Amino acid sequence: MNLIVIGLNHRSAPVEVRERLAFAAGGLGEATRALLNAAPLHEAAILSTCNRVEIYCLATSAAEATQAARQFLHDHHKLTDSVDAYLYEHHDQECIQHLLEVACGLDSMVLGETEILGQVKDAYQVAQQAGATGVVLNRLFQKAFSAAKHIRSSTAITRGSTSVGTVAVDLAGKIFGNLGKCTVMVIGTGEMSGATARALQSRGAGTILVCSRTHERAEALATQLQGRAISYDQWPTEFPAVDIVISSTAAPHPIVTKEKLIPLMKTRRQRPLFLIDIAVPRDIERACGELESVYLYDIDDLQQIARENMTAREREIAACQVLIAQHLQRFAIWLESNRTALEERYRKRTDASPLSKPVHTHAS
Amino acid sequence: MTDRTFLWLAQVFYAVSCVLTLRRMRAGNSGATLQRLNYAAMAVGFALHTVFLYLRGKADGRCPLTNLFETQAFIAWAAVLFFLLIGPSYRVSFLGAFTAPLVLLICLAALILLVDVVQAHPATRSAWVEFHAAIAILASGAFALAFVTGAMYLHQERQLKRRRLSSSFLLLPSIEQLDTINIRLLILGFVMLTAGMLGGLVSYHIVGHWTKPKIIWAVSVWILYGALVLGRGLWALRGRKVAVASMASFVLMLAGFWGVSLLWP
Repeated sequence: MNLIVIGLNHRSAPVEVRERLAFAAGGLGEATRALLNAAPLHEAAILSTCNRVEIYCLATSAAEATQAARQFLHDHHKLTDSVDAYLYEHHDQECIQHLLEVACGLDSMVLGETEILGQVKDAYQVAQQAGATGVVLNRLFQKAFSAAKHIRSSTAITRGSTSVGTVAVDLAGKIFGNLGKCTVMVIGTGEMSGATARALQSRGAGTILVCSRTHERAEALATQLQGRAISYDQWPTEFPAVDIVISSTAAPHPIVTKEKLIPLMKTRRQRPLFLIDIAVPRDIERACGELESVYLYDIDDLQQIARENMTAREREIAACQVLIAQHLQRFAIWLESNRTALEERYRKRTDASPLSKPVHTHAS
Repeated sequence: MTDRTFLWLAQVFYAVSCVLTLRRMRAGNSGATLQRLNYAAMAVGFALHTVFLYLRGKADGRCPLTNLFETQAFIAWAAVLFFLLIGPSYRVSFLGAFTAPLVLLICLAALILLVDVVQAHPATRSAWVEFHAAIAILASGAFALAFVTGAMYLHQERQLKRRRLSSSFLLLPSIEQLDTINIRLLILGFVMLTAGMLGGLVSYHIVGHWTKPKIIWAVSVWILYGALVLGRGLWALRGRKVAVASMASFVLMLAGFWGVSLLWP
């Protein structure tokens, strides 16, 4: 009896391959049942995200099972060529280890990201509802969830933002606390400034103002962000009420200078001002950051912090692996001590009916 | 076992709180369990501290503010009281982290440096004198916490300005929140100090004597904090300047207290 994972991820396969093998969320339960019918598996679950497609399964013969699973992927997605070169396989201990690493975000493109745990939970739930999981996978997934929770809370693997937009949001949070009363002004309508404004909005930023040299583009972005478009000449008048500025114009020279800012800071009575300059060449004179209560970050500053956070996460990998090894061992011991009984039970089931049905917890 | 033993025991728990804090800073995650342990250590320290003040008050036969040692212990007690009250209600994480070392410093300085004579028969006794002294001490407790939030503000602000973030940056409160709590503590302390000064005026009429340096010191402290409180409205005094000023004011107040008490006993 073997535990097996077979699949591909962002490292083993390019997006052109991954998208062909991805399962539609709505059809996942049906696909899992089809897999159980097509392959000699006792239990199975399919995890399908934009970065990975993986089949976790329990089978008597690893060789037969993997062969059948590969065939299933090929047939189900009506592939005409072989994708074997992109698929990896892990058996038994390595399979357990792999699932634990995936659940913790150690195997993710952005190390330590937390979205994956929700995706694994969803995948498990679908498989369970499809009646495809039994004693072993039920326990394996439950243990993976508690291991991920444990590792997240006792290491710093998820800490610190790792993208420019989220770093900006973190900084805004540590300046203003609650962003609900903050007014954000977006100057210039680049893709990155829109993304940063959206990130601030998702953290509760109050009013959003958009201005651009081309008023139509300002209108378009303002509509997207449910904000208000203002004309380009208007921004100095609106400035005293603004708390956060995201600037990304194509202007060749700084549009906000220290000289312009000094009188404006007086009118805002020294309330903090967060300036995010993501334009190259820069829109905001570096000297502005010297003023009291002004916090200026340019694209390099934000990227530098994102990189440092990523490095800090990488330093946590070893600590995560230690905890993973503990959880892995506990599960492996349980599996070994129940192996004979489980094998016996699955053998009987297979004898009784050609299609093996998962052994459910209540049966044990 | 003297009453001082309880004050020493309280210091042990404040020290435990300091160690727990360092562990939380190192761990770099919010450490809910450590935070609760930290609060518990402060609470136990506070209880022992209260036992000290109670026993000393019984020995003195009045509010235990008869010498510099007792007032220092009382100010530290008031600081812990304000921490226990505002820490959880404002959800200021790591407020205890910065409070415990300050309290420990004040108490240890008093325990080690100061001569502590129990005055069985103080020269003057009056309810007004006690009210005046006690409420002024509570005001000092609020100012001590303003010192603490000021220190936290500067710690966070420095990182924001230098664009270099330490592992504890995300765990500490935002500078706006610290600024808000700071000004509220200053206002609260100033109101209590004003009440204490008025009480002092009344007790002067009853007791009929006063030491000039102490009056000059008290009025200076009152003006200093008054300027800080009014400064926000008048000159948009906020943020970094208030943080620095609330730290400097507290140090000046304590230093002045020591100076006046030691030079003109």
